[in-house]
Amino acid sequence: MKFSSPSPIRVMLALKLIGRMIAWRISPLLLGILVNTTILRAQQPVDVAAADKQTLRVLLQRIDQLEARVKQLEAAKQQAAPLSLASPPVQASVPPASETELQADNAVTERMDVSKTLLRMRGFGDITLHGDNQRHDTTAFSLGQLNLFITSDISEKFKFLSEIVFEGGPDNIFGETRGENNTFGVDVERMVLQYSHSDFFKLAVGRYHTAIGYYNTAYHHSTWFQTTTGRPFLFQFEDRGGILPVHTVGASVSGLIPSGHLGLHYVAEVGNGRASRSPITEEPVQNVVDDQNHKAFNLALFARPEAVRGLQVGFSAYRDLLAPVNLPRIGETIFAAHAVLVRSKFEWLNEALLIRHAPNGIPRVFNTPGFYTQVSKQFGSYRPYFRYQYVNASRTEPIFPDVGLRQGPSFGLRYDASETVAVKLQYDYTALRGQPAANALALQVGFTF
Amino acid sequence: MRRIAGLLFILASAAFSIAALSLESAPNASSLPEPQIASEQNLAVVVNLSNPVQNLSMPELRRIFLGERSHWPNGRRITLVMMEPGQPERAVVLRDICQMNETDFNNHFLHGVFTGEVLVSPKTLATPVGVRKFVFNVPGAIGYLRVLDLDPSVKAIRIDERGPEDKGYRLHVPPRSSK
Repeated sequence: MKFSSPSPIRVMLALKLIGRMIAWRISPLLLGILVNTTILRAQQPVDVAAADKQTLRVLLQRIDQLEARVKQLEAAKQQAAPLSLASPPVQASVPPASETELQADNAVTERMDVSKTLLRMRGFGDITLHGDNQRHDTTAFSLGQLNLFITSDISEKFKFLSEIVFEGGPDNIFGETRGENNTFGVDVERMVLQYSHSDFFKLAVGRYHTAIGYYNTAYHHSTWFQTTTGRPFLFQFEDRGGILPVHTVGASVSGLIPSGHLGLHYVAEVGNGRASRSPITEEPVQNVVDDQNHKAFNLALFARPEAVRGLQVGFSAYRDLLAPVNLPRIGETIFAAHAVLVRSKFEWLNEALLIRHAPNGIPRVFNTPGFYTQVSKQFGSYRPYFRYQYVNASRTEPIFPDVGLRQGPSFGLRYDASETVAVKLQYDYTALRGQPAANALALQVGFTF
Repeated sequence: MRRIAGLLFILASAAFSIAALSLESAPNASSLPEPQIASEQNLAVVVNLSNPVQNLSMPELRRIFLGERSHWPNGRRITLVMMEPGQPERAVVLRDICQMNETDFNNHFLHGVFTGEVLVSPKTLATPVGVRKFVFNVPGAIGYLRVLDLDPSVKAIRIDERGPEDKGYRLHVPPRSSK
């Protein structure tokens, strides 16, 4: 085969022809591809936006359907009330598909709000090594309170709360010993059903901590929350020699008082008060039966001003009528005032009380004043603290004659070993009227779990 | 003189060239990254569409996020939604609204629930989509989302009379990492 070589003119013509073809045929093709690509790229956000709009439209339709369904149910409920139970249910006008969607939505809601009506539990505990120079006392390890704190959201307005505490005996009630050493008992320290209507009105019934002062309702039965190894003597529990009606069985109303930046709150309580037979050998908190018809009342007011974060100042007045055996009835009035500043790194607690016992028919009134001040500051994981406490009861005080005068300082150091474990070392010096002063040292580990 | 003039000319030319080169190498003003504060996204506080609240002051918001307010004006119980620890949105809320660190915040709620003053602990959700869905479904819910994560299924409220699109809005969250 022979190939003839093309002439230069023919080559030039061929090249021109190819150039024209590119110009007239291929260029529009390439341009079309380019334009289409651009359009396609531009359509992606448009599609997304369209999908969003469609989703929104579906959601809004669903809202409309739900609102219609609610109105329909409300109307059906109103109609059904005067009718017999046998009246046929009102047919829903919402399409079945919407009902399915509604159920699906409800299921989603239920899945999200899984805590609803379920118990939630948290525990608190402490173990202490302590010793002092008092006669008959020995240095010992002690299991403290094992506190199971349980809450449950019963409904949007109702909530349940309880503290079930296991603790070792014996009990000490106004100096009277009850129970055996080293045996454990169970106390339901708090059991409260709370109805929360609004921030201005909350109603609680059951067994709760009386709103006397600040400490009693701030720390309850957890040593882990407290900076120190224990409560101030003034706020000691009834079965540990305390002189206040720390627990009450009854009803409590609390809430905000509209007061702007002042942050006023109120608490009003009515309950059984404490048992007043003397000597008390039974449970001092009247859980089931009151020894008289008279009820104890307590009113507390406190402010949390916005201007000073962590500041709370307030006072309370408690009134009860005690009926000790072989004694006239005794009117009991407890006035308490507090000013506390509690921040994450600093706390300063100050409380003062006056317990007033006025026996009927006797002109004498027995006043027992007391106070404590406590200050602490956190440095990293360490929090040194200081507390001074004082209480002075008359020798002839008719309800708690064993208390007398006691006062003295406490020094300590709290070390937060982790977010849930605290180790505390505390020294207490307590001057007692007519007795040698007590020196005590305690090493405690408190924890939550 | 000529030498001096020539030297000056060379020096001036060199200076001009260097200046021109430096101008060329400098990025265009329009291509400069915006200042850090401007590049941050605002964090919107969101509530359910049925919630009548339109505006909250920062102290009110703080009380809500600390559980010190338990009900909306319409009587609905407030359900606080928080994102998981470690999320930048949560860090902004803790820092700018609650003014607490993570440990203090947890202790605050633990103590509040223990005393009974706080009705419910916050719900913790992992993603903005989860927060949006929860707030959409629960009438008393309040949570927070980046402005970019907002859609009309939830309502962004104003804080101290400023919306998340307004100047002077106080809640800023660092941009998401590209990973």
